[in-house]
Amino acid sequence: MIVINDLTFKYKGSHRSALKNINLRINKGDFVGIIGSSGAGKSTLTYTLNGIVPHHFTGDFYGSVIVNDVDTIEVHPEQLSSFIGSVFQDIDGQMVASVVEDELLFGLENFGIPREEIETRVNEALDTIGITGLRYRSIHTLSGGQKQKVAIAAIVALRPSVLLLDEPTGELDPQSSMQIFQMLRTLNKDYGMTIIVVEQKIMLLCEYVNRLVVMHDGEILHQGPVRQVLQNSTDLEQIGVNVPRIVTLANLLINKGLYHEELPLNLDEAEKMVNEVLKYDHI
Amino acid sequence: MIIFEHVSFTYGSSPVIGDVSFQVNKGDFAAVIGENGAGKSTLSKLCNGLLKPSAGRVTVNGNDTRTTRTSSLAKLIGFLFQNPDRQICQNTIRGEIMFGLECVLDDVDLRQERCEDMIRQFGLDGNADPFTLSRGDRQRVTLASVLACRPEVLILDEPTTGLDYSECTHIMKLIRELNENGTTIIMVTHDMELVQDYAKRVLVVSGGKLLGDGDTAAMMTHLDMLAAASVAPAQIPALALRLGEHFKNIFTVTQMVERIESRCKR
Repeated sequence: MIVINDLTFKYKGSHRSALKNINLRINKGDFVGIIGSSGAGKSTLTYTLNGIVPHHFTGDFYGSVIVNDVDTIEVHPEQLSSFIGSVFQDIDGQMVASVVEDELLFGLENFGIPREEIETRVNEALDTIGITGLRYRSIHTLSGGQKQKVAIAAIVALRPSVLLLDEPTGELDPQSSMQIFQMLRTLNKDYGMTIIVVEQKIMLLCEYVNRLVVMHDGEILHQGPVRQVLQNSTDLEQIGVNVPRIVTLANLLINKGLYHEELPLNLDEAEKMVNEVLKYDHI
Repeated sequence: MIIFEHVSFTYGSSPVIGDVSFQVNKGDFAAVIGENGAGKSTLSKLCNGLLKPSAGRVTVNGNDTRTTRTSSLAKLIGFLFQNPDRQICQNTIRGEIMFGLECVLDDVDLRQERCEDMIRQFGLDGNADPFTLSRGDRQRVTLASVLACRPEVLILDEPTTGLDYSECTHIMKLIRELNENGTTIIMVTHDMELVQDYAKRVLVVSGGKLLGDGDTAAMMTHLDMLAAASVAPAQIPALALRLGEHFKNIFTVTQMVERIESRCKR
Protein backbone atom coordinates (compact mmCIF):
# COMPACT_ATOMS: atom_id res chain seq x y z
CA MET A 1 0.00 0.00 0.00
CA ILE A 2 1.16 3.55 -0.76
CA VAL A 3 0.22 6.50 1.43
CA ILE A 4 1.29 10.05 0.59
CA ASN A 5 0.58 12.65 3.26
CA ASP A 6 0.77 16.44 2.74
CA LEU A 7 3.65 16.13 0.28
CA THR A 8 5.23 19.30 -1.09
CA PHE A 9 8.47 19.20 -3.06
CA LYS A 10 10.60 21.87 -4.70
CA TYR A 11 13.61 20.86 -6.82
CA LYS A 12 16.90 22.34 -5.65
CA GLY A 13 17.46 25.66 -7.41
CA SER A 14 13.84 25.94 -8.57
CA HIS A 15 11.58 28.80 -7.51
CA ARG A 16 8.33 26.87 -7.70
CA SER A 17 7.09 23.72 -6.04
CA ALA A 18 6.82 20.75 -8.43
CA LEU A 19 4.38 19.09 -6.02
CA LYS A 20 2.01 20.91 -3.68
CA ASN A 21 0.19 19.40 -0.74
CA ILE A 22 -0.33 15.96 -2.27
CA ASN A 23 -2.48 13.46 -0.41
CA LEU A 24 -2.94 10.11 -2.09
CA ARG A 25 -3.62 6.53 -1.08
CA ILE A 26 -3.04 3.64 -3.47
CA ASN A 27 -4.16 0.20 -2.32
CA LYS A 28 -2.52 -3.11 -3.08
CA GLY A 29 -3.76 -4.38 -6.44
CA ASP A 30 -4.85 -0.97 -7.73
CA PHE A 31 -4.27 -0.10 -11.40
CA VAL A 32 -3.86 3.68 -11.35
CA GLY A 33 -3.49 6.08 -14.26
CA ILE A 34 -1.89 9.49 -13.72
CA ILE A 35 -2.82 12.15 -16.26
CA GLY A 36 -2.28 15.89 -16.66
CA SER A 37 -0.48 18.36 -18.88
CA SER A 38 3.31 18.65 -19.23
CA GLY A 39 4.90 20.13 -16.11
CA ALA A 40 1.91 19.14 -13.95
CA GLY A 41 4.17 17.06 -11.67
CA LYS A 42 3.26 13.55 -12.90
CA SER A 43 6.81 12.27 -13.30
CA THR A 44 7.93 13.98 -10.08
CA LEU A 45 5.14 12.18 -8.24
CA THR A 46 6.44 8.83 -9.52
CA TYR A 47 9.99 9.84 -8.49
CA THR A 48 8.79 10.29 -4.92
CA LEU A 49 7.51 6.69 -4.92
CA ASN A 50 10.77 5.06 -6.03
CA GLY A 51 12.92 7.40 -3.94
CA ILE A 52 14.60 9.21 -6.85
CA VAL A 53 13.09 12.26 -5.13
CA PRO A 54 14.54 13.30 -2.72
CA HIS A 55 17.61 10.99 -2.81
CA HIS A 56 18.82 11.61 -6.38
CA PHE A 57 16.95 14.80 -7.30
CA THR A 58 17.31 16.72 -4.09
CA GLY A 59 15.31 19.73 -2.91
CA ASP A 60 12.89 20.89 -0.23
CA PHE A 61 10.77 17.89 0.74
CA TYR A 62 7.86 18.22 3.17
CA GLY A 63 5.34 15.55 4.18
CA SER A 64 5.77 11.80 3.84
CA VAL A 65 5.63 9.01 1.27
CA ILE A 66 5.11 5.55 2.74
CA VAL A 67 5.43 2.54 0.41
CA ASN A 68 4.75 -0.92 1.87
CA ASP A 69 5.23 0.56 5.36
CA VAL A 70 8.62 2.05 4.43
CA ASP A 71 9.16 5.82 4.59
CA THR A 72 10.95 6.60 1.32
CA ILE A 73 13.00 9.38 2.89
CA GLU A 74 14.60 6.93 5.31
CA VAL A 75 15.84 4.33 2.81
CA HIS A 76 17.89 4.49 -0.37
CA PRO A 77 16.28 4.01 -3.79
CA GLU A 78 18.22 0.72 -4.19
CA GLN A 79 16.28 -0.71 -1.22
CA LEU A 80 12.99 0.62 -2.55
CA SER A 81 13.69 -0.92 -5.95
CA SER A 82 13.41 -4.38 -4.39
CA PHE A 83 9.64 -3.88 -4.27
CA ILE A 84 9.02 -0.95 -6.65
CA GLY A 85 10.00 -1.53 -10.28
CA SER A 86 10.29 1.50 -12.57
CA VAL A 87 10.05 1.67 -16.35
CA PHE A 88 11.17 5.03 -17.66
CA GLN A 89 9.92 7.16 -20.53
CA ASP A 90 13.03 6.69 -22.70
CA ILE A 91 13.26 2.93 -23.38
CA ASP A 92 16.69 3.16 -25.00
CA GLY A 93 17.96 5.08 -21.96
CA GLN A 94 16.89 2.19 -19.72
CA MET A 95 18.55 -0.62 -21.68
CA VAL A 96 22.01 -1.60 -20.47
CA ALA A 97 22.67 -4.80 -22.43
CA SER A 98 22.83 -5.64 -26.11
CA VAL A 99 20.95 -8.97 -25.92
CA VAL A 100 17.49 -9.50 -24.37
CA GLU A 101 18.58 -12.28 -21.98
CA ASP A 102 21.47 -10.14 -20.66
CA GLU A 103 19.07 -7.26 -20.02
CA LEU A 104 17.08 -9.51 -17.68
CA LEU A 105 20.20 -10.99 -16.09
CA PHE A 106 21.62 -7.54 -15.30
CA GLY A 107 18.97 -6.73 -12.71
CA LEU A 108 18.80 -10.23 -11.25
CA GLU A 109 22.57 -10.45 -10.74
CA ASN A 110 22.72 -6.96 -9.25
CA PHE A 111 20.02 -7.91 -6.78
CA GLY A 112 22.06 -10.93 -5.76
CA ILE A 113 19.42 -13.46 -6.74
CA PRO A 114 20.85 -16.98 -6.19
CA ARG A 115 22.26 -18.50 -9.38
CA GLU A 116 19.89 -21.52 -9.23
CA GLU A 117 16.86 -19.21 -9.10
CA ILE A 118 17.92 -16.92 -11.93
CA GLU A 119 16.98 -19.29 -14.77
CA THR A 120 13.48 -19.76 -13.31
CA ARG A 121 13.01 -16.00 -12.96
CA VAL A 122 14.18 -15.29 -16.55
CA ASN A 123 11.91 -18.00 -17.99
CA GLU A 124 8.96 -16.83 -15.91
CA ALA A 125 9.38 -13.13 -16.80
CA LEU A 126 9.80 -13.81 -20.54
CA ASP A 127 6.77 -16.10 -20.47
CA THR A 128 4.60 -13.65 -18.50
CA ILE A 129 5.34 -10.85 -20.94
CA GLY A 130 5.05 -13.18 -23.94
CA ILE A 131 8.52 -12.63 -25.38
CA THR A 132 10.18 -16.02 -24.84
CA GLY A 133 10.97 -16.04 -28.56
CA LEU A 134 13.04 -12.87 -28.22
CA ARG A 135 15.39 -14.24 -25.53
CA TYR A 136 18.54 -14.34 -27.67
CA ARG A 137 17.75 -11.38 -29.96
CA SER A 138 19.96 -8.30 -30.18
CA ILE A 139 18.05 -5.42 -28.63
CA HIS A 140 18.90 -3.05 -31.48
CA THR A 141 16.98 -5.28 -33.91
CA LEU A 142 13.73 -5.03 -31.90
CA SER A 143 10.78 -2.74 -32.62
CA GLY A 144 9.79 -0.03 -30.11
CA GLY A 145 6.98 -2.23 -28.76
CA GLN A 146 9.28 -5.24 -28.35
CA LYS A 147 11.90 -3.10 -26.56
CA GLN A 148 9.24 -1.79 -24.19
CA LYS A 149 8.22 -5.39 -23.40
CA VAL A 150 11.87 -6.30 -22.71
CA ALA A 151 12.20 -3.31 -20.34
CA ILE A 152 9.06 -4.45 -18.49
CA ALA A 153 10.18 -8.12 -18.44
CA ALA A 154 13.53 -7.08 -16.89
CA ILE A 155 11.60 -5.39 -14.08
CA VAL A 156 9.01 -8.17 -13.72
CA ALA A 157 11.88 -10.68 -13.24
CA LEU A 158 12.69 -8.83 -10.00
CA ARG A 159 9.13 -9.57 -8.78
CA PRO A 160 8.28 -6.10 -7.49
CA SER A 161 4.92 -5.64 -5.79
CA VAL A 162 4.50 -2.22 -7.41
CA LEU A 163 5.23 -1.36 -11.05
CA LEU A 164 5.67 2.30 -12.04
CA LEU A 165 5.63 3.24 -15.72
CA ASP A 166 6.20 6.71 -17.16
CA GLU A 167 4.52 7.01 -20.59
CA PRO A 168 5.30 3.43 -21.62
CA THR A 169 3.57 3.73 -25.01
CA GLY A 170 4.90 7.16 -26.00
CA GLU A 171 6.42 6.06 -29.29
CA LEU A 172 4.30 3.01 -29.98
CA ASP A 173 1.50 2.53 -32.52
CA PRO A 174 -2.06 1.80 -31.29
CA GLN A 175 -1.69 -1.98 -31.69
CA SER A 176 1.57 -2.16 -29.72
CA SER A 177 0.22 0.27 -27.11
CA MET A 178 -2.81 -1.95 -26.56
CA GLN A 179 -0.59 -5.02 -26.22
CA ILE A 180 1.43 -3.27 -23.50
CA PHE A 181 -1.76 -2.38 -21.59
CA GLN A 182 -3.16 -5.91 -21.98
CA MET A 183 0.09 -7.20 -20.51
CA LEU A 184 -0.17 -4.72 -17.63
CA ARG A 185 -3.73 -5.91 -17.01
CA THR A 186 -2.44 -9.50 -16.75
CA LEU A 187 0.25 -8.44 -14.26
CA ASN A 188 -2.39 -6.59 -12.27
CA LYS A 189 -5.19 -9.17 -12.32
CA ASP A 190 -3.29 -12.48 -12.39
CA TYR A 191 -0.23 -11.56 -10.35
CA GLY A 192 -1.78 -8.95 -8.04
CA MET A 193 0.82 -6.35 -8.97
CA THR A 194 -0.06 -2.74 -8.13
CA ILE A 195 0.39 -0.73 -11.32
CA ILE A 196 0.85 3.03 -11.55
CA VAL A 197 1.14 4.44 -15.05
CA VAL A 198 1.65 7.99 -16.32
CA GLU A 199 0.11 8.21 -19.80
CA GLN A 200 -0.95 10.77 -22.40
CA LYS A 201 -3.14 8.31 -24.35
CA ILE A 202 -6.20 8.85 -22.22
CA MET A 203 -8.58 6.79 -24.37
CA LEU A 204 -6.40 3.74 -23.94
CA LEU A 205 -5.74 4.40 -20.26
CA CYS A 206 -9.42 4.72 -19.40
CA GLU A 207 -10.17 1.26 -20.77
CA TYR A 208 -7.65 -0.43 -18.50
CA VAL A 209 -7.13 1.39 -15.19
CA ASN A 210 -9.58 1.36 -12.26
CA ARG A 211 -8.53 4.73 -10.81
CA LEU A 212 -7.44 8.03 -12.30
CA VAL A 213 -5.36 10.77 -10.70
CA VAL A 214 -5.49 14.13 -12.50
CA MET A 215 -2.62 16.50 -11.81
CA HIS A 216 -2.34 20.17 -12.63
CA ASP A 217 0.37 22.62 -11.64
CA GLY A 218 1.79 20.32 -8.95
CA GLU A 219 -1.55 19.52 -7.36
CA ILE A 220 -4.02 16.65 -7.54
CA LEU A 221 -7.11 18.15 -9.14
CA HIS A 222 -9.26 15.02 -9.21
CA GLN A 223 -8.82 11.42 -8.13
CA GLY A 224 -11.15 8.44 -8.01
CA PRO A 225 -12.75 5.74 -10.15
CA VAL A 226 -12.34 6.41 -13.88
CA ARG A 227 -15.96 7.23 -14.72
CA GLN A 228 -16.29 9.50 -11.71
CA VAL A 229 -13.21 11.53 -12.68
CA LEU A 230 -14.30 11.75 -16.32
CA GLN A 231 -17.56 13.40 -15.30
CA ASN A 232 -15.43 16.55 -15.01
CA SER A 233 -14.62 16.61 -18.73
CA THR A 234 -14.97 20.42 -19.03
CA ASP A 235 -12.45 20.91 -16.21
CA LEU A 236 -10.12 18.36 -17.73
CA GLU A 237 -10.27 19.92 -21.19
CA GLN A 238 -9.51 23.33 -19.66
CA ILE A 239 -6.27 22.05 -18.15
CA GLY A 240 -5.23 20.46 -21.42
CA VAL A 241 -6.29 16.84 -20.93
CA ASN A 242 -7.46 15.13 -24.11
CA VAL A 243 -10.76 13.67 -22.90
CA PRO A 244 -12.01 10.75 -25.05
CA ARG A 245 -14.59 12.14 -27.46
CA ILE A 246 -17.21 9.55 -26.55
CA VAL A 247 -16.93 10.81 -22.95
CA THR A 248 -17.37 14.44 -24.06
CA LEU A 249 -20.38 13.27 -26.09
CA ALA A 250 -21.85 11.44 -23.07
CA ASN A 251 -21.37 14.44 -20.77
CA LEU A 252 -23.14 16.70 -23.31
CA LEU A 253 -26.06 14.24 -23.54
CA ILE A 254 -26.20 14.12 -19.72
CA ASN A 255 -26.22 17.94 -19.51
CA LYS A 256 -29.08 18.04 -22.01
CA GLY A 257 -31.03 15.57 -19.88
CA LEU A 258 -30.98 12.94 -22.62
CA TYR A 259 -28.81 10.36 -20.85
CA HIS A 260 -28.69 9.32 -17.21
CA GLU A 261 -26.53 6.19 -17.06
CA GLU A 262 -22.80 5.68 -16.56
CA LEU A 263 -20.18 7.14 -18.91
CA PRO A 264 -19.03 4.94 -21.80
CA LEU A 265 -15.33 4.04 -21.93
CA ASN A 266 -15.25 2.24 -25.28
CA LEU A 267 -17.15 2.11 -28.57
CA ASP A 268 -19.38 -0.79 -27.51
CA GLU A 269 -20.56 1.19 -24.49
CA ALA A 270 -20.94 4.38 -26.56
CA GLU A 271 -23.11 2.56 -29.12
CA LYS A 272 -25.26 1.19 -26.30
CA MET A 273 -25.56 4.71 -24.85
CA VAL A 274 -26.79 6.28 -28.11
CA ASN A 275 -29.24 3.45 -28.72
CA GLU A 276 -30.51 3.92 -25.17
CA VAL A 277 -31.04 7.66 -25.79
CA LEU A 278 -32.81 7.02 -29.09
CA LYS A 279 -35.19 4.48 -27.48
CA TYR A 280 -37.11 7.16 -25.62
CA ASP A 281 -39.25 10.00 -26.87
CA HIS A 282 -37.70 13.00 -25.13
CA ILE A 283 -40.27 15.54 -26.22
CA MET B 1 5.11 18.59 -56.83
CA ILE B 2 6.43 15.36 -55.19
CA ILE B 3 5.89 12.34 -57.41
CA PHE B 4 6.59 8.72 -56.45
CA GLU B 5 6.72 6.38 -59.47
CA HIS B 6 6.91 2.65 -58.67
CA VAL B 7 9.26 3.35 -55.78
CA SER B 8 10.87 0.53 -53.81
CA PHE B 9 13.41 0.82 -51.03
CA THR B 10 15.53 -1.81 -49.30
CA TYR B 11 17.64 -1.45 -46.14
CA GLY B 12 20.45 -3.99 -46.77
CA SER B 13 18.50 -7.08 -47.77
CA SER B 14 15.25 -6.07 -46.05
CA PRO B 15 12.63 -4.57 -48.38
CA VAL B 16 10.79 -1.71 -46.64
CA ILE B 17 8.89 0.00 -49.46
CA GLY B 18 7.57 -1.97 -52.43
CA ASP B 19 6.36 -0.46 -55.71
CA VAL B 20 4.66 2.63 -54.29
CA SER B 21 3.23 5.34 -56.58
CA PHE B 22 1.49 8.57 -55.54
CA GLN B 23 1.68 12.31 -55.98
CA VAL B 24 1.62 15.11 -53.38
CA ASN B 25 0.41 18.40 -54.82
CA LYS B 26 1.17 21.96 -53.77
CA GLY B 27 -1.03 22.95 -50.81
CA ASP B 28 -1.85 19.36 -49.78
CA PHE B 29 -2.10 18.46 -46.11
CA ALA B 30 -1.49 14.73 -46.30
CA ALA B 31 -1.33 12.38 -43.33
CA VAL B 32 0.66 9.16 -43.69
CA ILE B 33 -0.68 6.53 -41.30
CA GLY B 34 0.21 2.92 -40.51
CA GLU B 35 1.67 0.65 -37.83
CA ASN B 36 5.24 0.81 -36.43
CA GLY B 37 7.56 -0.54 -39.09
CA ALA B 38 5.05 -0.01 -41.94
CA GLY B 39 7.52 2.17 -43.82
CA LYS B 40 6.03 5.61 -43.02
CA SER B 41 9.28 7.23 -41.89
CA THR B 42 11.17 5.65 -44.78
CA LEU B 43 8.56 7.06 -47.17
CA SER B 44 8.97 10.54 -45.70
CA LYS B 45 12.77 10.35 -45.97
CA LEU B 46 12.44 9.32 -49.62
CA CYS B 47 10.53 12.58 -50.22
CA ASN B 48 13.46 14.82 -49.34
CA GLY B 49 16.32 12.70 -50.68
CA LEU B 50 17.60 11.62 -47.24
CA LEU B 51 17.03 8.15 -48.72
CA LYS B 52 17.26 7.34 -52.44
CA PRO B 53 14.93 4.76 -54.00
CA SER B 54 16.37 1.31 -54.68
CA ALA B 55 14.01 1.15 -57.68
CA GLY B 56 11.60 3.57 -59.32
CA ARG B 57 11.80 7.35 -59.15
CA VAL B 58 10.99 10.20 -56.77
CA THR B 59 10.86 13.69 -58.25
CA VAL B 60 10.50 16.99 -56.38
CA ASN B 61 9.42 19.87 -58.62
CA GLY B 62 10.67 17.77 -61.53
CA ASN B 63 14.08 17.07 -59.95
CA ASP B 64 15.00 13.40 -59.54
CA THR B 65 16.10 12.87 -55.90
CA ARG B 66 18.76 10.38 -57.03
CA THR B 67 20.60 13.01 -59.05
CA THR B 68 19.80 16.12 -57.00
CA ARG B 69 21.93 17.05 -54.01
CA THR B 70 20.10 16.48 -50.73
CA SER B 71 21.25 19.96 -49.61
CA SER B 72 19.38 21.49 -52.60
CA LEU B 73 16.24 19.52 -51.74
CA ALA B 74 16.57 20.68 -48.11
CA LYS B 75 15.96 24.25 -49.29
CA LEU B 76 12.58 23.15 -50.64
CA ILE B 77 11.60 20.55 -48.06
CA GLY B 78 11.82 21.04 -44.29
CA PHE B 79 11.88 17.95 -42.07
CA LEU B 80 10.76 17.83 -38.46
CA PHE B 81 11.99 14.70 -36.69
CA GLN B 82 9.85 12.82 -34.18
CA ASN B 83 12.25 13.39 -31.32
CA PRO B 84 13.44 17.03 -31.03
CA ASP B 85 16.51 15.85 -29.09
CA ARG B 86 17.77 14.13 -32.24
CA GLN B 87 17.44 17.41 -34.15
CA ILE B 88 18.70 20.06 -31.70
CA CYS B 89 22.47 20.46 -31.90
CA GLN B 90 23.18 23.95 -30.51
CA ASN B 91 23.30 25.34 -26.98
CA THR B 92 21.06 28.33 -27.58
CA ILE B 93 17.76 28.70 -29.35
CA ARG B 94 19.20 31.50 -31.50
CA GLY B 95 22.14 29.26 -32.44
CA GLU B 96 19.76 26.42 -33.28
CA ILE B 97 17.65 28.56 -35.62
CA MET B 98 20.75 30.09 -37.23
CA PHE B 99 22.26 26.63 -37.82
CA GLY B 100 19.72 25.74 -40.52
CA LEU B 101 19.69 29.24 -41.99
CA GLU B 102 23.48 29.18 -42.44
CA CYS B 103 23.06 26.08 -44.59
CA VAL B 104 20.49 27.61 -46.94
CA LEU B 105 21.07 31.39 -46.96
CA ASP B 106 24.22 33.29 -47.94
CA ASP B 107 22.93 36.74 -46.93
CA VAL B 108 24.04 37.25 -43.29
CA ASP B 109 21.62 40.13 -42.60
CA LEU B 110 18.69 38.18 -44.02
CA ARG B 111 19.61 35.18 -41.84
CA GLN B 112 19.58 37.31 -38.71
CA GLU B 113 16.32 38.97 -39.71
CA ARG B 114 14.66 35.58 -40.28
CA CYS B 115 16.06 34.19 -37.02
CA GLU B 116 14.79 37.09 -34.92
CA ASP B 117 11.47 36.93 -36.74
CA MET B 118 11.05 33.26 -35.71
CA ILE B 119 12.09 33.96 -32.12
CA ARG B 120 9.43 36.68 -31.97
CA GLN B 121 6.70 34.66 -33.70
CA PHE B 122 7.21 31.64 -31.44
CA GLY B 123 7.68 33.73 -28.29
CA LEU B 124 11.07 32.13 -27.56
CA ASP B 125 14.03 33.35 -25.51
CA GLY B 126 16.86 33.32 -28.05
CA ASN B 127 19.55 32.99 -25.39
CA ALA B 128 17.92 30.06 -23.58
CA ASP B 129 19.41 26.58 -23.73
CA PRO B 130 16.88 24.44 -25.65
CA PHE B 131 17.73 21.38 -23.53
CA THR B 132 16.33 23.07 -20.43
CA LEU B 133 12.87 23.38 -22.03
CA SER B 134 9.88 21.03 -21.87
CA ARG B 135 9.45 18.48 -24.66
CA GLY B 136 6.70 20.63 -26.22
CA ASP B 137 8.87 23.73 -26.17
CA ARG B 138 11.82 21.82 -27.64
CA GLN B 139 9.50 20.66 -30.43
CA ARG B 140 8.52 24.30 -31.01
CA VAL B 141 12.23 25.24 -31.25
CA THR B 142 12.82 22.60 -33.92
CA LEU B 143 9.71 23.74 -35.80
CA ALA B 144 10.90 27.37 -35.65
CA SER B 145 14.33 26.26 -36.94
CA VAL B 146 12.79 24.42 -39.88
CA LEU B 147 10.31 27.22 -40.70
CA ALA B 148 13.03 29.89 -40.62
CA CYS B 149 14.28 28.34 -43.88
CA ARG B 150 10.78 28.86 -45.39
CA PRO B 151 10.39 25.45 -47.01
CA GLU B 152 7.69 24.89 -49.64
CA VAL B 153 7.02 21.47 -48.15
CA LEU B 154 7.10 20.53 -44.49
CA ILE B 155 7.45 16.87 -43.50
CA LEU B 156 6.49 16.09 -39.92
CA ASP B 157 7.43 12.69 -38.47
CA GLU B 158 4.95 12.15 -35.61
CA PRO B 159 5.13 15.79 -34.55
CA THR B 160 3.01 15.39 -31.41
CA THR B 161 4.68 12.34 -29.81
CA GLY B 162 5.39 13.07 -26.14
CA LEU B 163 3.34 16.26 -26.15
CA ASP B 164 0.33 16.87 -23.97
CA TYR B 165 -2.97 17.91 -25.54
CA SER B 166 -2.41 21.67 -25.10
CA GLU B 167 1.09 21.50 -26.62
CA CYS B 168 -0.23 19.30 -29.40
CA THR B 169 -3.07 21.71 -30.20
CA HIS B 170 -0.68 24.67 -30.17
CA ILE B 171 1.79 23.04 -32.59
CA MET B 172 -0.99 21.76 -34.88
CA LYS B 173 -2.66 25.17 -35.12
CA LEU B 174 0.67 26.63 -36.25
CA ILE B 175 0.98 23.90 -38.85
CA ARG B 176 -2.59 24.46 -40.08
CA GLU B 177 -1.86 28.18 -40.51
CA LEU B 178 1.23 27.34 -42.56
CA ASN B 179 -0.85 25.07 -44.76
CA GLU B 180 -3.51 27.77 -45.21
CA ASN B 181 -0.71 30.09 -46.34
CA GLY B 182 0.39 27.62 -49.02
CA THR B 183 2.94 25.30 -47.35
CA THR B 184 2.47 21.67 -48.36
CA ILE B 185 2.33 19.41 -45.31
CA ILE B 186 3.12 15.70 -45.10
CA MET B 187 2.50 14.39 -41.58
CA VAL B 188 3.38 10.90 -40.37
CA THR B 189 1.19 9.92 -37.42
CA HIS B 190 -0.72 7.15 -35.63
CA ASP B 191 -3.29 9.50 -34.20
CA MET B 192 -6.52 9.39 -36.20
CA GLU B 193 -8.15 12.18 -34.16
CA LEU B 194 -5.25 14.42 -35.18
CA VAL B 195 -5.73 13.31 -38.78
CA GLN B 196 -9.45 13.98 -38.58
CA ASP B 197 -8.95 17.45 -37.11
CA TYR B 198 -6.18 18.69 -39.41
CA ALA B 199 -5.36 16.61 -42.50
CA LYS B 200 -7.16 16.94 -45.83
CA ARG B 201 -5.89 13.69 -47.28
CA VAL B 202 -4.79 10.33 -45.89
CA LEU B 203 -2.27 7.82 -47.23
CA VAL B 204 -2.51 4.42 -45.51
CA VAL B 205 0.74 2.44 -45.50
CA SER B 206 1.11 -1.18 -44.42
CA GLY B 207 3.96 -3.60 -44.99
CA GLY B 208 5.69 -1.08 -47.26
CA LYS B 209 2.68 -0.84 -49.61
CA LEU B 210 0.18 1.92 -50.13
CA LEU B 211 -3.14 0.39 -48.97
CA GLY B 212 -5.24 3.49 -49.58
CA ASP B 213 -5.18 7.15 -50.59
CA GLY B 214 -8.16 9.47 -50.32
CA ASP B 215 -9.71 12.49 -48.65
CA THR B 216 -9.84 12.37 -44.88
CA ALA B 217 -13.60 12.04 -44.48
CA ALA B 218 -13.75 9.10 -46.87
CA MET B 219 -10.79 7.32 -45.31
CA MET B 220 -12.31 7.60 -41.81
CA THR B 221 -15.04 5.18 -42.89
CA HIS B 222 -12.68 2.47 -44.19
CA LEU B 223 -12.48 0.64 -40.88
CA ASP B 224 -11.17 -2.59 -42.44
CA MET B 225 -8.32 -0.71 -44.07
CA LEU B 226 -7.49 1.13 -40.85
CA ALA B 227 -7.54 -2.17 -38.96
CA ALA B 228 -5.24 -3.75 -41.56
CA ALA B 229 -2.82 -0.89 -40.91
CA SER B 230 -3.21 -1.33 -37.10
CA VAL B 231 -4.61 2.18 -36.75
CA ALA B 232 -7.32 2.87 -34.19
CA PRO B 233 -10.19 4.74 -35.91
CA ALA B 234 -11.27 8.15 -34.61
CA GLN B 235 -14.03 7.52 -32.05
CA ILE B 236 -16.91 9.61 -33.37
CA PRO B 237 -16.77 8.52 -37.05
CA ALA B 238 -16.34 4.91 -35.86
CA LEU B 239 -19.38 5.27 -33.58
CA ALA B 240 -21.38 6.87 -36.42
CA LEU B 241 -20.63 3.89 -38.67
CA ARG B 242 -21.88 1.49 -36.00
CA LEU B 243 -25.09 3.51 -35.63
CA GLY B 244 -26.03 3.02 -39.28
CA GLU B 245 -27.23 5.13 -42.17
CA HIS B 246 -29.02 7.78 -40.10
CA PHE B 247 -25.59 8.78 -38.77
CA LYS B 248 -23.83 9.12 -42.11
CA ASN B 249 -21.19 11.86 -42.43
CA ILE B 250 -20.90 12.46 -38.70
CA PHE B 251 -17.32 13.25 -37.70
CA THR B 252 -17.45 15.56 -34.66
CA VAL B 253 -19.02 15.50 -31.20
CA THR B 254 -21.16 18.55 -32.08
CA GLN B 255 -22.49 16.89 -35.24
CA MET B 256 -23.23 13.72 -33.27
CA VAL B 257 -25.17 15.57 -30.57
CA GLU B 258 -27.19 17.47 -33.20
CA ARG B 259 -28.03 14.25 -35.06
CA ILE B 260 -29.03 12.46 -31.85
CA GLU B 261 -31.27 15.41 -30.88
CA SER B 262 -32.88 15.52 -34.30
CA ARG B 263 -33.52 11.76 -34.16
CA CYS B 264 -35.04 12.18 -30.67
CA LYS B 265 -37.39 14.94 -31.91
CA ARG B 266 -38.78 13.05 -34.89
